[in-house]
Amino acid sequence: MNSIFDSRILNLVIFFPLAVAALVAFLPKDEKGQIRAVTFAGMIGSFLTTLWAWMRFETRSPVEFQLEYRLEWLSDVGISYHVGVDGLSVALVLLTGVLGPMVVLSSWNFVAERVKEFHVALLVLQTAMFGAFTSIDTMLFFMFFEAVLVPMYLLIGVWGSEERQKAAVKFFLYTMVGSVLMLLALFAVYFLSAPSGARSFDYSTMYNGMMGGSRELATYLKANPDGNGVGLTPVAFALFKYGPWLFLAFALAFAIKVPMFPLHTWLPDAHVQAPVAGSIVLAGVMLKLGTYGFWRFAVPFFPVAARQYQNFFAALSVIGIVYGALMCLAQRDIKKLIAYSSVSHLGFCMLGIFAFTAEGATGSAYQMLNHGVSTGALFLLFGMLYERRHARLMSDYGGIARVMPVFAAFFLIVTFSSIAVPGTNGFVGEFLVLLGTFKSNLPLAFGVIASTGVILGAAYMLWMVQKVFFGQVTHQENLALKDMDKRELAAALPFIVLIAVMGLRPQPFLDVLNTSTERYIARAKFAAGDGTSDERLVRVNVRQLPRVAVAQAPAPTPMPEGMVRPARPMMLQQLQPVKPALQPGDAKVLP
Amino acid sequence: MEKLQLFFQTAPVDPTQAGHALWLIIALPLLGAFICGVFGKIIGRANTNLVAISSVLGSFLLSLLVFWTINDFHASSPTPFGGVAYAVGADFGTWFHAGTFRVNFGLMADHLSGTMLLVITGVGFLIHVYSAEYMSHDKGYWRFFAYLNLFVAAMLTLVLADSLPLLFVGWEGVGLCSYLLIGFWYDDPQKAFAGRKAFITNRIGDFGFLLASFLLVVMVESLIARPANAPGSHVSPTYTSAVADKGPLAFSVLEETARSLPDLIDEKILTGPLTGMNYGVALTIIMLLFMLGAAGKSAQIPLYVWLPDAMAGPTPVSALIHAATMVTSGIYLFCRVSYLLVLSPTAMIVIALIGASTALVAALIAFTQKGIKKILAYSTVSQLGLMFLGIGVGAFWAAFLHVITHAFFKACLFLGAGSVMHGNGDEEDVTKLGGLRKEMPVTWATFLVSTFAITGVIPLSGFFSKDAILHAAHTQHIAGYHGLQTLAWIMGTLTAACTAFYMFRAYFLAFEGERSKDAKIPHAHESAAAMTGPLVVLAVLAVVALVHGLPIMHMQRGGVTITQTLMENFLDPVFRTTNDLIARKQFLEMPKEHESMLLPWLQAWIIALVSGGAAFFIYRRYLPAKGSLPGFLEPLRKFSFNKFFVDEVYDFVVIKPFTLFSRALHKVVDSILIDGVAVHGTAWLTARTGAVLRYLQTGDAQMYAAVMALAASGGLVWAIFKVLP
Repeated sequence: MNSIFDSRILNLVIFFPLAVAALVAFLPKDEKGQIRAVTFAGMIGSFLTTLWAWMRFETRSPVEFQLEYRLEWLSDVGISYHVGVDGLSVALVLLTGVLGPMVVLSSWNFVAERVKEFHVALLVLQTAMFGAFTSIDTMLFFMFFEAVLVPMYLLIGVWGSEERQKAAVKFFLYTMVGSVLMLLALFAVYFLSAPSGARSFDYSTMYNGMMGGSRELATYLKANPDGNGVGLTPVAFALFKYGPWLFLAFALAFAIKVPMFPLHTWLPDAHVQAPVAGSIVLAGVMLKLGTYGFWRFAVPFFPVAARQYQNFFAALSVIGIVYGALMCLAQRDIKKLIAYSSVSHLGFCMLGIFAFTAEGATGSAYQMLNHGVSTGALFLLFGMLYERRHARLMSDYGGIARVMPVFAAFFLIVTFSSIAVPGTNGFVGEFLVLLGTFKSNLPLAFGVIASTGVILGAAYMLWMVQKVFFGQVTHQENLALKDMDKRELAAALPFIVLIAVMGLRPQPFLDVLNTSTERYIARAKFAAGDGTSDERLVRVNVRQLPRVAVAQAPAPTPMPEGMVRPARPMMLQQLQPVKPALQPGDAKVLP
Repeated sequence: MEKLQLFFQTAPVDPTQAGHALWLIIALPLLGAFICGVFGKIIGRANTNLVAISSVLGSFLLSLLVFWTINDFHASSPTPFGGVAYAVGADFGTWFHAGTFRVNFGLMADHLSGTMLLVITGVGFLIHVYSAEYMSHDKGYWRFFAYLNLFVAAMLTLVLADSLPLLFVGWEGVGLCSYLLIGFWYDDPQKAFAGRKAFITNRIGDFGFLLASFLLVVMVESLIARPANAPGSHVSPTYTSAVADKGPLAFSVLEETARSLPDLIDEKILTGPLTGMNYGVALTIIMLLFMLGAAGKSAQIPLYVWLPDAMAGPTPVSALIHAATMVTSGIYLFCRVSYLLVLSPTAMIVIALIGASTALVAALIAFTQKGIKKILAYSTVSQLGLMFLGIGVGAFWAAFLHVITHAFFKACLFLGAGSVMHGNGDEEDVTKLGGLRKEMPVTWATFLVSTFAITGVIPLSGFFSKDAILHAAHTQHIAGYHGLQTLAWIMGTLTAACTAFYMFRAYFLAFEGERSKDAKIPHAHESAAAMTGPLVVLAVLAVVALVHGLPIMHMQRGGVTITQTLMENFLDPVFRTTNDLIARKQFLEMPKEHESMLLPWLQAWIIALVSGGAAFFIYRRYLPAKGSLPGFLEPLRKFSFNKFFVDEVYDFVVIKPFTLFSRALHKVVDSILIDGVAVHGTAWLTARTGAVLRYLQTGDAQMYAAVMALAASGGLVWAIFKVLP
């Protein structure tokens, strides 16, 4: 059943927090309680919108992007406001929505200065993340992707700890480097994917435009593994020549965001300095922008290059799993430990993505959600401790279970979820990722080494738990710590419920994710040329802009090279200086 | 008599209904755990005890009902390949599936898991009753009972699961509860550390379990994808649809897998990641990985080190988890997948050898330990080793019988030890006890009975089970490994001798003679009825369980009347496929005819008498008179007392290098290479470049003009060269 609202839900999801932010901006800045309450209510409302979107998502529908909405916007350069969700993005949207209210609760007392700005930043951040996950237009995605940086930079730089400035700058520069390269690669894909006039930044145009080339290139490479590309059509030749570089440019941007080894060093610093809210959003949602990028853009755009670099990226993921875990064992700072554990967990996500098996990809997608819940909860809980003691080192604690038993119980449950004890959410994701790795064409050693993460995870988490919670209380000031109050319980309890529900009834989530997985696998594999992909799933079908559809329908005749339909004479002149896409034969003809 | 037999062989409830109610057996203790954990403090001590005990009792009653039901010939658990006779089961829908993989919430109780159900809930109930008294002064009672109930639920999941992943839920669940209970008194860092050590050691085993499961999935899929023209047998369409419906790791699917494997043992795998490997080799690897998993959970070499430290937990926990139930999961696992194990003689002999050497090593360490719980812990490791010896030589029923009898007498011994500690001001050191026979008569009597049982004195239950294992190790031959198997058998027999020695040593030191001068309190007091009651019941069970080992069942097979013990006969439906495969593949040579049991019985007597006598002589006669052992024995005693320095070696070889390595990695790679050289290096380079390039932007117009002129002339020169032919 389609209702009239369906096509508008996502707009509501994206812009509701922004509207609340505007409202908060008008509140008097000394009414801190009011600001918090309004933001909290706004976050709850925002969560309800995401829940609505989630409920309206149909797993049996053959449509890939559901709740789609497309509006003409900057069509001169082929950009439109185009949003929609598939299984993975609707799940990530829901995750973002769930974390929202908890983030506000977590900083209720912690943030006492510039309260208004803080909450506005949180709400804007929410909008940016929703936008990034729902954009089908790549430029729109890029804008939201970059927009996420600003509020996060402020969260770390303004409300962070002692060395916040340094961490914030490091975070910003690290991510910017990748983004710039990705932007260039986006432009290249824009020119490559369609002839002049038909170009668009829309995901479907870009992907479908290169699909034929990828297929041709894959067949070609299968026949001549060492061929020099002579005889390929222009798109296939360009993909042959520049595909790996473009893929790497995308991959670099997203690998920094994930972060993959060895691009991870911004994460511990950012987490340590960030306020609790920043840490929760950073670990819970923002890192997934990286894995999501691989899933949505890097791999489907360049399936042949992704295949070529499969071992490389899978190896980096495996190294990340083990390396992140080993780093945890060397930490004394609790927040740093949790940050490094993120590196290890995200390694599982990346391994699942590069296993190119249905089990691996579904597990990876589920692991993204799990990591958001578990690590989000770990940061939330540690934030409560930090709020009381303002200390981050394990040696500052000890015997906390005696003074804060309820808190200890919560922390322990989240720990078990984090180390993937079966029955909690973590297990399902990790199990599927590892199984997918074993079933994939990757060397068996990858799966075996990745599985050691199971042991190492338990080693570092329980070590930390023992240092913090067990033994005698060693510091006098810890004796007076208060256990969790009602507000903190309300913030933590949803996580516990999610951990249990997602561990015991994962199938409703997996059904939604499976719709994306099938397509992801089909798109990653069709280029293998072995005919195992379901052809119906390979192509991206989206709603066309109504005006364009009407204008183009009667005249499907191919345009001569280099000419643009003179619908907009102003644009024609601007576009002309741009050279047509590179043609392999061109060089010889020139004098 | 006939009528009575018929009565017990008629299901009291509809088997299908019983199958659908299996989840209740798990749900009750789970609910109990929830109530105790969340509301325990509010509802008070007595109510918590009531909830915890009655939830396990309810489970026990349901288990009885189920057990009764599965004695009915009509009881059958539905599987895609027809039903499993003498079993009930039900499928409660999908847990998770992705791609071609699927796991269902499927539960099944057959004779194997049915027996385990009774042991877990029965012994569990007794230990709950005991704990109510034992923990009556502890403030954390609600936490304790929540964990204990949770443990029972996890253990029940383990035995009721009808697929490996669901079994793994219980498998890790019991490890988790064990972690929580060992570190129950977490104020003491030593105890918290012991819990952590147990969990991480278990996790090393779980790593093996997971790998084995993944490889099994890969193998199952290669069977389905096997081309029709490839040599060897092929799976049926039923199999393919069963894998899709039940998932590749359901036990019914694995059993069918085993049936199709005999013709494929020497064939190559043609598809998937294992391409090129023989099925036989792959199966051996899988079984050895399962053994790694079992070694973690059931405390075998090289992962046994956690169990002795696990005695840091409250004594009832040691009795329930670290003696009767959890540590036997490894044996249960291998009984479950016995049809796969018997196809790999290499894996069998490795398991037998690991079991035998663990048994011997642990027994030797137990010789000199002073803590009464430590002695019992090493004794448990040793007995578990014997069970694995049984598994290795294919005597599954014997190993499982030993699980049952061991559950009774070892639980009784541990609870007895708890009673001793309770009555002696928490004194654990046996050398500081003494003379308890008169002061704690009930504890004494039950402890003595159990000591006799574990030593293997006829006619107690321990004798029958232990002897069945050793007998099988002697007479059933693993093809191709006769020599090694004889070695394993000798080690097993030596273990039996050692067991008698160290158990009687503990007994004589604690219960006989005069009260030690170092005792904490001058007079011990006997424990309350809530504690002695379970002791008596368990001691009685330790005697009565002997019926299972009596060769009283006669049955016709192939025209010959063969005599089986009660247990072997009872488990026959469970091991039917296994026995078929043994007969078909001949990897295990069974004795042609049963020889007289008199000789082994005599052997057992002699062993028990001689070793027990030796203990009597040393600890009742020699030491009281002389005060110390002869000098030449001292280094040996020290070596054994320090547990062969295994912990120290592990610390030096594994743990220390590991921590050092991660610290070094953090310093060198993260701080210096990535952050120092790459990140800050880039920043530095950018800054330097800027600093250098700054000199180019001087604002000096003449300079700019000069550069322009130079560039222009350079371009001109290039153009001229380009134009010239």
